This record gives sequence, structure tokens and C-alpha cells, in this order.
Amino acid sequence: MNGKRVKVKKGETILDIAKRNGINIPTLCYHPDLKPEGKCRICLVEVNGKLVTSCNTKVEEKMEIFTNTKRVLEARRLNMELILSNITYARKDFELIKLAKELGIRKIRFKKHVDNSKGRGPIEIDNHRCILCGRCVQVCQNIQGINNIDFVNRGIFTEVTTPFNIPIKDSPCTFCGQCALYCPENAVRERAFSEKLIKYVENISIVKDSKFSIVQTAPAIRASLGEMFGAEPRTLVTGKMVAALRKIGFDKVFDTDFGADLTIMEEANEFVERIKKNKNLPLLTSCCPSWIRFAEETYPFLLKNISTCKSPQQMFGAIAKTYYAKKIGVKPKDLIVVSIMPCIAKKFEAEKPEMESAGCNDVDIVLTTREIGRMIERKKINFSKFGDGEFDEPLGISSGGGAIFGATGGVTESVLRVIYEIFTDKKLKKVNFKQVRGFEGIRDTEIEMGNKNIKIAIAHGLGNIRKLIESGEWKKYHFIEMMACPGGCIGGGGQPRPTTWEIRKKRIAALYEQDKKMKIRVASHNPAIKKIYKEFLGKPLGKKSEKLLHTKYKKRKPKYF
Amino acid sequence: MQILRKSGWAGFEKTLKMDRKEVIKKVKESGLNGRSGCNFPTGLKWELMGKGVRYLICNANEGEPGTFKDKFIMEKNPSLLIEGIAIASYAMGIHKTFIYLRGEYSYLKPKLERVIKQSEEYLKKINLKININLGAGSYLCGEETAIMESIEGKRPVVRQKPPYPPEVGLYGKSTCVNNVETLANVPLIFLGGWNNKLELYSLSGDLKKPGVHEVEGGIKLKQIVSLAKPKTEPKIIYFGASGGCLPYKKFENLSVGYKSISEQGCMLNGRGLIICGKNREIVELSKIFTEFFLQENCGYCTPCREGNFRIWELLKKIGCRKGRKSDLNLLQKLAYYISDTSYCALGTSSTNHLKCALKYFKGEFLKLCK
Repeated sequence: MNGKRVKVKKGETILDIAKRNGINIPTLCYHPDLKPEGKCRICLVEVNGKLVTSCNTKVEEKMEIFTNTKRVLEARRLNMELILSNITYARKDFELIKLAKELGIRKIRFKKHVDNSKGRGPIEIDNHRCILCGRCVQVCQNIQGINNIDFVNRGIFTEVTTPFNIPIKDSPCTFCGQCALYCPENAVRERAFSEKLIKYVENISIVKDSKFSIVQTAPAIRASLGEMFGAEPRTLVTGKMVAALRKIGFDKVFDTDFGADLTIMEEANEFVERIKKNKNLPLLTSCCPSWIRFAEETYPFLLKNISTCKSPQQMFGAIAKTYYAKKIGVKPKDLIVVSIMPCIAKKFEAEKPEMESAGCNDVDIVLTTREIGRMIERKKINFSKFGDGEFDEPLGISSGGGAIFGATGGVTESVLRVIYEIFTDKKLKKVNFKQVRGFEGIRDTEIEMGNKNIKIAIAHGLGNIRKLIESGEWKKYHFIEMMACPGGCIGGGGQPRPTTWEIRKKRIAALYEQDKKMKIRVASHNPAIKKIYKEFLGKPLGKKSEKLLHTKYKKRKPKYF
Repeated sequence: MQILRKSGWAGFEKTLKMDRKEVIKKVKESGLNGRSGCNFPTGLKWELMGKGVRYLICNANEGEPGTFKDKFIMEKNPSLLIEGIAIASYAMGIHKTFIYLRGEYSYLKPKLERVIKQSEEYLKKINLKININLGAGSYLCGEETAIMESIEGKRPVVRQKPPYPPEVGLYGKSTCVNNVETLANVPLIFLGGWNNKLELYSLSGDLKKPGVHEVEGGIKLKQIVSLAKPKTEPKIIYFGASGGCLPYKKFENLSVGYKSISEQGCMLNGRGLIICGKNREIVELSKIFTEFFLQENCGYCTPCREGNFRIWELLKKIGCRKGRKSDLNLLQKLAYYISDTSYCALGTSSTNHLKCALKYFKGEFLKLCK
């Protein structure tokens, strides 16, 4: 390679070797989590006098590889120019523009020809920007197993769309948003809410007394928001995030971890109840709206097994619009609940008609991590040099159990912490349930609790969920945690790009670190939770919590099928 | 014509008496090469087949512009093709064969089905089932792996090689893909008196007598063209859309064969010759061929999808006398790098015609440029 002899293993691609030997080959459609397809033709190298793509060419004996001859560089540059010529782009931090700079492209000699963009549903596909790299299609087909998007038409009319071009909101899409997460060019993206929000924030400042805005931040975003401002994936930016949100203009900054703690309480009690009655087991978790939509559409026979608890976001919203609104003396309509989520499906969830507990939507606006990052940028807030802020009371106090909600296995672990005390009547000494942590797509374990053996399974990624259900294995367990995105919310569809398995692992580690540092580790020990049950809700699964914190599922059919 | 000889299943009966390996050996000895484009020895292809369930695909998706010899065979002598399929299947131990018929040839489907039904008694002897799959009009489906994707019901995109079809093919099984003309020649080998050199050439263009002609390979270009009686003096010969082109006057004494043509930077794909008369303009012709690739490329990789569109744009500009010399340079660069960096054979050959045009007729391009 480049005149040096290199040792290789069998089955390695040229790109692997180049990376190992410190040789930089620019790539565009290549993604470490996906099967290389060689579509963009940017990662070209010269092998024995022929140009090949390095991402999907396996090494053989007696290969003579050159990575930076004139022919290679010129071919790369021309292909990049052809890609760029056909898209509109505005932002400079996407992979594509970075790459274009790297390749030294200054002027594009061609003009744009595509002229159709579609905005529909929580996810939109913008063909103005699409470079047809096929990552989204691969994720949807191979990793998530939904098969909702594919290429249609030929030649320059090729585009990515849903079957028969139906609107995404009517298609079998689960809004997991992995397609958007993998897109290098923001062509597949979440429907923007920011504009609406800016108007809200402006109104708030004008008519201060009639409107009151609060914001909740999901457990997963504090480990990833920093990445948008150049931080390492492992850094937690909780304090900075809170301060920045205050600066944007929210009156109170709360924590969805509180909602998560509430969810754990309800879910744990529900689980104990079901174990006692031995009815509707296994209990399937309900925190993930994408999985709920998937189940409602594809596996209606599972609906009775799914926990009736709302997701942490919606629990928080319901509490805010009833308990908190009353407390501060604001009409529920005038209280604006904004939530910042790593997820696109949450946008869909917030708009569900059954998610209304005070005559209006519990959560008014849902923003993704990427959107809030962009907003912070637009407000010209210097994020990295920001001081630390703290969450407001009372909805900002949380336990370590809520904090790890964002990682796969986190929900299980925090539920286990709570039910241990219910089952054994002893105080939990060893808080960490390391058996449930890990990264395999489907993993299971058995845990002894008092005189009971609880069988637990954890599945993340819709493809794995499908595997678990269709193999019939799911019947063996008592408790199954389902998360639609690989890695849990930490790898959600609204997270900063790029997201690879390496980055997901780092973010998960950051969450567990946060959990370790916290004083309260078990949700039931959270004073704010104790207080709200005492003041307002009564007891878990009580009449009021049943009304506010639980929901019903019904069989849904995608409109066009 | 040799290809129109009726065999009446005599060749098949003969092979049944032979061992399978003997059949392959005989095909190998006969020197029959693939007649579709890459000239791969047929016997060797059959020998390379793996074990377990195997499939044979008869490639009847003849999409190359200016090539219509397969249609000619299927119209005039379909039973010879079916017999060839039967012999090939017997030799490779195959029990299921697919005929991938071009969408535009759908009118041939009933005819082929009738012939298959008539020859059921022979097919039963080797327990062979023949399926006819209609293509949906994609040029790319002439490529062997794209056919497989199409039969499997997927979007026709060329698969990455390796693995090659004999290892992993249709439905992940070992698969052999043969052209119609190749398979139709197989029974003739066993009949005796077969001449390997006789090949079919499809001639079209500014001719008085266009059509399929059977000629011995190695014949001079001048002789082939004169068979079809050109209307005016020929100026350019296109070897299909993807094969490139040659100026007639300079190469009229060139002997036509795979080797000699590829030495000139062209390809003898499917042996279709498009003969253009002296009043044709090279820029206009290049634009027409580019339009073909514009419609037919699959959109998979960047250079072929976007690059061909840009070529079309530039040619349009030059054709309107609005082009500059820098445009011509860009055109040359695009033509070179598209063929250098594309994913599949369609992409790499999509600018052959332009490369040749720029090589032999650059003056005409320059005349139109400012």
C-alpha cells in the first residue's frame, strides 16, 4: 500500500487496512454500522492499475494499492462535484460539506436539476438534499427490518420514498428516525418544530403573565448534546444544557428523569401486580413510542402484555399540566410544555389524541437533540464556555434510576431496583444489576428476588424485537424491555450525527457514570416522587395515577394497507 | 442459416446416452464461447457450477440497442433454444430453469410456452421445469446478477462480485447464466456438422436491407456492411450503445472479432452494428446514445447517474453552438472518469461511445465550439 508492505487479515477491506495504518481515505456513503455498498464512489483507490472502491473491496494477495495518485484524487473530486451539483445545502457541519472541503472543491460547474421535495409526517424526506447514498434504506431494511423506504425510479429520477409514494404518516413507518440519524446530509430529517417554538418564546416574553413555559430534558440528551459543540461523546453537559435553556427563555427547566422515576414506580407496581395475579405476562415496557406504534400496527396480539404506563415524557406532561399548573396558578392551556428528546417518534406520541389530561395536549412541543442544538447555535449562545445551571424544583429532582433510562437495559435495571424492595422487604444494598447491561441485540438473564426467579429479556433495535417476537421466545420471560433504536434512546433518531456503535457505547458509559455519582439511586427513594404521591397522586396504580399516568392501546392499521 | 436448422430433439436424445461429464467435455472441446458479450467459454462455465440446488437462467433480456439476434432465434426457431436449455440442464444436473424474457418481447411468451408444452415428454425425462419470467423493461437486467435480483422480486441492481454466480447466485444458490444464442447452438454441437465460426450479426441503421445476418467470424467490416446494402456511404459504425464507435473509412478493412475490435478501444457487445450514413452528425448521435443511458441507468452510483446527465447537458449545449472549448475538456474528463469509477459494467461502458467519438471525430466537436 502506497509502496509499503502491509500485513492483513483475511476478509478485511482496503479501507480497514488504510485506517489501521493511518492512511486517510475520504468516505461518504460508508458507515461503520452498515454494509458497505459502494454507491458514492468517493473512497476510490487505485489497485493494480484499476480504480476500485475501498469500502467494499476485500484485500487479496499481491495487491498494489495507491490511495493518492493523481487519477484517484481527480476521480474523487469529480464525483464529489457531481454529488454537490445536485443538492441544496445550507449548513456547514454536515459530513458532506466537511468532505467537500477536504477534497478541495471550490466551484461547482453544474447546475441543480432535481426539483421535488416532500414534507409529511414527523419525518420528512427532502430530495433537494438527497445524494442517494442509501444509508437510510439500509438501516430501515437491514437493521430495523421495517422496509418502509426504498429507491424508486431510475437514473437521475431516482429518489428515496415510501411504498407507492404514500405520505409517511400513513405508511407503516414507526418513526424511529434511524434513517434520519444515518443521513449524512440532513435530507431525511425530523419535521421542524423550532419555528413554532421561537414564536412561542417571543410571545412569552411579550405577554409574560399569561404564558408560562417549562421545558423537560430527556435522560439521553445530556450525554450527547455536547457533541454538537465539539465535545467528546463521553462528556455530560447537564449543567451547561440547563443554563443554555434558561438563556433561550424558558421559565423553568425540569428533568424528564423525574417522569422516568414516576414511570418506574408505576411500571414496577404494575409488574408486581401482574406477577401476583400471574396474568398478562410477560410485561412489555411501554416507554418507547416507536415500539408502541410498531406493536399496534404489526403485533396487535401483544397489546394486552404491554404495560399501560405512559412514557416518561407524557407522564411528565400530564403532571405538569395538572399538578404543577395548579400549584403555580396557571391555566393548563397557558402552560407550555416543551420537551427535548433524542427521539422523533415522541413528536408523534405527543400529538396522539389520547394524550390529553387537562383539555389540551400534555406536551405541546417536542424538539430533538439536533433541533435544540441548532437553536442554541442560532441564539449565538457560546455553549462550551457556559457556566453550570441546576434543574428547578420540584420536577427536576431525580434518582439514578431515571438517569439510566436512556441506555438499553436501563429501564430494566431501574425497575429491578424498585421491585427488589417490594419483593424482599429489604433495603437494596447492591444497586448495580450488571447482568442487564450490555450491547447484544437480544439478551436475557435470570434474577432471584426473594423466593422468585424473574426471567428478563432486553431487546433493542426493531429488527431484534421482530426476531424476539416472531421466534416465539418472548413467552418464556416475565419482563421484556423493548427499545426501537439500537442502543436505546442514546442512539435515538433525534441524536446528533454521526452516531456509530462506538459513540453509542461511550454515551451509555456516560449515563452509567452519572448514575454512579448520584445520591439517590432508587426511584422510590426520590423525595420529590414521595411528595407527589403524598400530595397529589395517592398511591401507585391508584385512581388518580390510573387516570393521568396510564393509557390504552388499540389495534391500528396503516391507512393504505 | 445454421441457427435455423431443426434438430427435432435428436441432439438431446444423443446426450441422454452420454454421461454428464462427457457432455460438458464435448461442449468444451467444441470451442463454443458465450455469444452475449464477454466471450467466456461455455463448457468452462458449466464446469464451474457448485453442488446442491442449482439453477440455470437463460438470458433473453436483449436490451442493447441495435441487437436483435435473440429475438430472431426465438421467433424463428424456439424449439432449438428449449432443446439447448434441456441439454445444458442435463449436463449440469439442473431441475429448474428460468427464461428471463425482455419485457418488450412479451409477445413471444405464448409462443415459447407452447413450445415448452409440446416438448414436455422430453423435459420429463430429466425432470426439468422451465419458467418464463418477464422483465419490466430495464436495460440493466441484461446483466446476470441484476437478472437474479429481478427474479427474486427485488429492485434490479448489479450485485457485488465476487462472489460470482456459480458460487452464490439466484436465491443464494449456484447459478449459471447463458445467452439465448449460446444455448441455441448447443444442440447443433451434438448433431454434427456444426461450424463454430458462424455467428449472428444484427445490422441496423441507414441500410436498405437491415436485419440479422449469419457470417463467419473474422470477416472484414466492409463485407459485413455490404451485406446489408447501405443507403449512403457509411460514416460511423456503432457497436450497440455501449460498445463504442469507429469511423468506417479508416477501419473498413478491419476483420471483425472480439479481439480486433477491443484493440481499437471498442466492444463487440452482442454483435449489433448500427451503421450511420454520411449525413449524420456525431454530436447529435452522441446525444441520442447518452439519452439512452440517462434513461436506463439504475441510479445506484454517483458517476453514472449524475455524470451521464451532465454529459447530456454539455452535448446539448455544444449542439446548440453555445459550448466552449473548456466544455469539451470537461466532457472528455467526465467520459473518462465515469467509465473509470462506475460500479457496474453498464456504468463503465456508458461513455464508450463518447470516448471513441472524441477520439476519432474531435474536429467535428471543435467546429461547434466557440
